[in-house]
Amino acid sequence: MLSRIADSLFWLNRYMERADGMTRLIHVHYILSMDKSLSGNSGWKPVLELYTSLSAEVHESIQHNIPAVLKKLLIGEDNLNSLQVIVSRARENARGAQDQLTKEVWEQVNQMYHMVNDHSLKIRLNTNEAMAIIENFSNQTVVFAGITDITMERGLGWNFMNLGKFIERCLQTISIVNKELEIITEHGVDARDILQWRYLLLCLSGYEMHLKNYRSQEHEKNVMDQVLLNENFPHSVIYSLTRINYYLENIRIIHGEVNISLARDFGRLYSKVKYMELQSFTVQSLREFLQELANDLGDFTRELSQHYFNYS
Amino acid sequence: MSSIPILHPYRSLPGTWDEMYDGSTVRPHYQKVFEVLQQADVSTLQLKEHLAGKVFMNQGITFTVYSEDEGIERIFPFDIIPRIITSAEWLQIETGIKQRLKALNLFLKDIYSTQEIIKEGVVPADLVASCPHYIREAFGIPVPHDIYIHVSGIDLIKGEDGKFYVLEDNLRTPSGVSYMLENREVTKRIFPDLFMGTIVKRVSDYPIFLHQILLSLAPYGADDPTIVLLTPGVFNSAYYEHSFLAKQMGIALVEGRDLVVDNHKVYMKTTRGLKSVDVIYRRLDDEYLDPLVFNPNSLLGVPGLMSAYRKGNVALVNAVGNGVADDKAVYAYVPAMIKYYLNEEPILPNVPTYNLSDDESREYVFENIDSMVIKQTNQSGGYGMIMGNKLIEEYWAKAKIDITRDPRHYIAQPIIKLSTVPCFIDGRLQPRHVDLRPYALCGPDEIRIVPGGLTRVALKDGSLVVNSSQGGGSKDTWVVDF
Repeated sequence: MLSRIADSLFWLNRYMERADGMTRLIHVHYILSMDKSLSGNSGWKPVLELYTSLSAEVHESIQHNIPAVLKKLLIGEDNLNSLQVIVSRARENARGAQDQLTKEVWEQVNQMYHMVNDHSLKIRLNTNEAMAIIENFSNQTVVFAGITDITMERGLGWNFMNLGKFIERCLQTISIVNKELEIITEHGVDARDILQWRYLLLCLSGYEMHLKNYRSQEHEKNVMDQVLLNENFPHSVIYSLTRINYYLENIRIIHGEVNISLARDFGRLYSKVKYMELQSFTVQSLREFLQELANDLGDFTRELSQHYFNYS
Repeated sequence: MSSIPILHPYRSLPGTWDEMYDGSTVRPHYQKVFEVLQQADVSTLQLKEHLAGKVFMNQGITFTVYSEDEGIERIFPFDIIPRIITSAEWLQIETGIKQRLKALNLFLKDIYSTQEIIKEGVVPADLVASCPHYIREAFGIPVPHDIYIHVSGIDLIKGEDGKFYVLEDNLRTPSGVSYMLENREVTKRIFPDLFMGTIVKRVSDYPIFLHQILLSLAPYGADDPTIVLLTPGVFNSAYYEHSFLAKQMGIALVEGRDLVVDNHKVYMKTTRGLKSVDVIYRRLDDEYLDPLVFNPNSLLGVPGLMSAYRKGNVALVNAVGNGVADDKAVYAYVPAMIKYYLNEEPILPNVPTYNLSDDESREYVFENIDSMVIKQTNQSGGYGMIMGNKLIEEYWAKAKIDITRDPRHYIAQPIIKLSTVPCFIDGRLQPRHVDLRPYALCGPDEIRIVPGGLTRVALKDGSLVVNSSQGGGSKDTWVVDF
């Protein structure tokens, strides 16, 4: 497979996974922002901090103006991480790799591109339709995942696509969890209250699973166990890392490579999480650990792209 | 449901050949389509039109129009009413194009080797020497099976007399074939009823034929040859077509930066390292192919590609240097080439063409400018055209000076009223001018032309310019036994 194509497929899926995480979080936040929150802070600042490239002053000034927030997040031209930018980048990558994508996958990306570039959005986001718009985008990203799953050939390209997807998902989970821990520390909220954790779990589509599987009242420990270490939870850190390990191994086998440093470096990172002991962490040390993990994953991604995607 | 009679006001234009309506009745080969249209009402047709537009948009079948340095992405306007050509007409088109291509291929072989045709005085030496697309670097390079023009799109028009003429030869990297194929697919979706009981000849095997030809060009010894399609990239106006064809043939779509030449061999950069490349279907013009030989500023090409080509380590499709044969001034000599190489009379005539280097012709053209069109010999896409019936005085005065100073780069032709076909525009059927570009494929054994082609439509009322960059659209084109 052409290095350039592998690179494009990798990034196509990274961007689409980001769009998926972001639209789900916006959707959850939108609904929960209608309730009075526990910390009394129902603004959009944390979301803006997670997903925009804007300054702290802007965050502060618009955080209670929902239409303004939504516009920044979804179509803000000055926000380098708006949904519009993300989907446009995804399409750019899809376009360059169009001959390696199925017609169905390409059409889905292209359709979303036209949706997010629809000029009427600017007006419609001021109205009651906003919720339906967010929901629709969120659904479309899920449709993308489904179409990819049922139409794409399980070749080399598939493995690179999934590497992109799970690296992105892992980073997303880490940053959302870290944001939540930050709020807890800063606002001194009672970490034993499940309602505080509900938001995080909903953003990661894991609330129902939590209710079914964790019975004790030690919410903080339970939630951290689920989002970091639960092998069955598709948005947990360990789940993503296990998938990355699997696709990395597939690529190694297809290429017939032996003994590459890439696998070794990833293995080191993977074991850090695999063999971590939650009990030994404080909130503060956990935040540091997660930050370090995100950095390690970033380094690994750079190494990965140097190894496989170097073409220009 | 009240049906608004959309056909009744249909009037063919005076002095123009209308392909459906002969002035008093509907021509027999249009009868069936006519009946279906008569039963449809405007809103149904509008719905079909909307559906077709959506299909094109979602598939990303868009092209980029450049004006004032800004590129805008648009769908290529599509008219839903198919254009119909009879098998008898097609037979003439097919044999005529085959004859023309045989002669043009022999011309290219001759021009890049012994140049007999110049020595015999059939084609003037200075005409060839002054052609900007005559590539000296291609001189003496043997090409597999002596084929230069593997893929061509010769533009035909139907004149006031109802006969087909050749308007121009596109022998370099003609585009539009994906529209021919997609237009058919879309028409099947929106007009299944029209296909019932009509046998429309199939065009869908074009990519298969093309793939077979590419395979046959692999250098000796490559038993599982690697074939790639070289595109200038996603910003090229025909990028959709490049990806479409690569996909249809199951070959890799590469950009210049994906390729590298080492020791006169071409490789592509893969996740597993370098992989050798045997055949390149390039959709990149000659001047961008290799910065070491041609335009040194081009980032689109591959440094060293020409050296690999010269050694015969890689086949290029089409061959390098074809531009000398589709030059608009050389065009005038194609009937002479047919006579010289094949000893035959042209089956498809040329449009009369005036050589402006000749003082007498130039004077004649200037005097009769209101019935003439002047074209630049090295321009395409409808750019650089002067329509004599729509002159702007000031502009024309300046153009006259330019032409007199550099007459070799202009030719003149009488303005021909292209034939019209019915189009569904603004809720009713209206006649619009069209041309026809059939796509021919030359392989080692035969020349194949899928029955059909791209019909381009001048959508603006009264316009004779069909190019997509100038407000043109397209139609599905049917060849039917009748």
